[in-house]
Amino acid sequence: MRFAMRAYGIPSLVYFLLLEAMLAAAILFWPEFQKNAGMLKAMAPISMLKDMVDSLAQGGIEAYVVGQHFFKGCNTLGTAAGVLFAAGAVAGEVQRGTLELWLARPFTRRRLLLTRWLCGALALCLPIFVSTATVPWLLTFVDAEASTYALMLAATHQCVFLLATYSLTFLCSTLFDSPMGIALSVLFFTTLEFSIYLVKVATHWSLFRLADIGVFMDIMSKETLRADMVLPLVGISLACLAASLAAFSRKVP
Amino acid sequence: MREAQARDEAQPASPGSIRVRGLCRSFGSKVALAPLDLDIQPGVVTGLLGPNGSGKSTFMRTLIGLVPKTAGEAWVDGVKLSGDGTPIRKRCTFAPGELSFYGHLRGRDQLAWLVAGRGKEALQRATRRADDLGLPLRNRVRSYSHGMKRQLLFACALGPRVPVRILDEITEGLDPSKRGSVLEILREDAASGTTILLSSHHLAEVQRACDHMVFLQGGLKLSEERAVDVRAQSRRSIHLDFQSAEDAKAFSERARGTDVANIQQRENQLTLQLANEDPRATLVRLFQDESAPRPLRMDYGELSLEHLYRDLYGEDAC
Repeated sequence: MRFAMRAYGIPSLVYFLLLEAMLAAAILFWPEFQKNAGMLKAMAPISMLKDMVDSLAQGGIEAYVVGQHFFKGCNTLGTAAGVLFAAGAVAGEVQRGTLELWLARPFTRRRLLLTRWLCGALALCLPIFVSTATVPWLLTFVDAEASTYALMLAATHQCVFLLATYSLTFLCSTLFDSPMGIALSVLFFTTLEFSIYLVKVATHWSLFRLADIGVFMDIMSKETLRADMVLPLVGISLACLAASLAAFSRKVP
Repeated sequence: MREAQARDEAQPASPGSIRVRGLCRSFGSKVALAPLDLDIQPGVVTGLLGPNGSGKSTFMRTLIGLVPKTAGEAWVDGVKLSGDGTPIRKRCTFAPGELSFYGHLRGRDQLAWLVAGRGKEALQRATRRADDLGLPLRNRVRSYSHGMKRQLLFACALGPRVPVRILDEITEGLDPSKRGSVLEILREDAASGTTILLSSHHLAEVQRACDHMVFLQGGLKLSEERAVDVRAQSRRSIHLDFQSAEDAKAFSERARGTDVANIQQRENQLTLQLANEDPRATLVRLFQDESAPRPLRMDYGELSLEHLYRDLYGEDAC
């Protein structure tokens, strides 16, 4: 566990710092955004972006924060981090030739894999929670405030969404042997999904509908998680984890 | 016969021993390990010998559960191989033949990672062993030479106090003096009651370190020999290389009728098996006739693995 945490520690710290820097910059930009919302809307090249600027301006600081932090920051950086943490989890050992060494120690395969999954999941989610926890403090710089509880619920939803991608990539890592191939394939797929979100006629096909500004605003206003989304996403993560365990039990070094 | 087999199966494997019955492993249509029966007594050093692809590593990996068995049963230290083999891996240490490490780790951290789950004492013993071998534990593993990496694995395999050690190609890549030290340490370890199963391509070092030898080829067990018997066999073998197959044939005809128990010819090479361990009288008789074909090379008293395979089984090994 100690070694796995150490392996994920530095990438996770870098990911947190990037997330925090983006968040701080976005919040400090809020007064300018408020002033120039109309101009920004006019400058937006596509109608989906115009709508987004509109909803941010109308939703106030809360919509702006969830849009900047969760929809933009966590969905992009978090997806990339999740894919990078998971792609090498098992396939990296195969590529390095250390799978045999890893398996030869006196631990069950189930324990080895669960430890690795858990460390990656923590490395993915902890920066989101910590950076979200700093939002109320950052908002004091622009004379605004938001409910910490509601923000934490939104962060939980974000993590559940990212964990599904992470677990799917983790499953690919137990099934295939090339971490680079896995990472590129999943990143291509997620980028495609994000692009589809921005196309008005196809936006309802995008997986990012499950973690967009509307969903986060709903969570923030009702101060409750969306069970209709969270439960299927948790189910996907657990199913991928179970499939990973089954595949890993048959993995031959 | 069947009753005897049933009795044998019912008898629990003794602590420190390795017992294998019909263990086999296939990868698709390729048989990596044919049904194998083997008994290794506690405190004995056993050498697995065979060319590349003979099934040595597959056997070791299967024995500790790294590779799932296709059929058969195995017991290590009285514990039956089942599931992913964790109970067996708790009772033994395994040093794989492949040298792949986490290059970014320092030697000390890599060592701690390798003996994780074995307790503090194991880590202390492994660290002491690595220090004795002169390994720079503060350096990153990526800066280690091939031999240093092998020694790091060796130190880790020797750290925990376990009844069985399984060591794949543990001396590969070591210089002769380090190789000697490693074999010496293994002998000492076995003398304290540890069962050691090691694999190697080098007959000489296996002869030196092992009490018992198992010969594998193509996943099949060709034979099991006691080291003393192989040494005796070595002392009765003379290998001669001639200019041509005709010379070898002419020489073998002269050798017949003397105290040569067996003669094998392979092209321009002859192997004479003497009836006794003193070759002097036989050699004098064979070479006193000056018209006899003159050999280009003569080996006596030490068998190469290639020769041993050829002599014992009539096939090329390497």
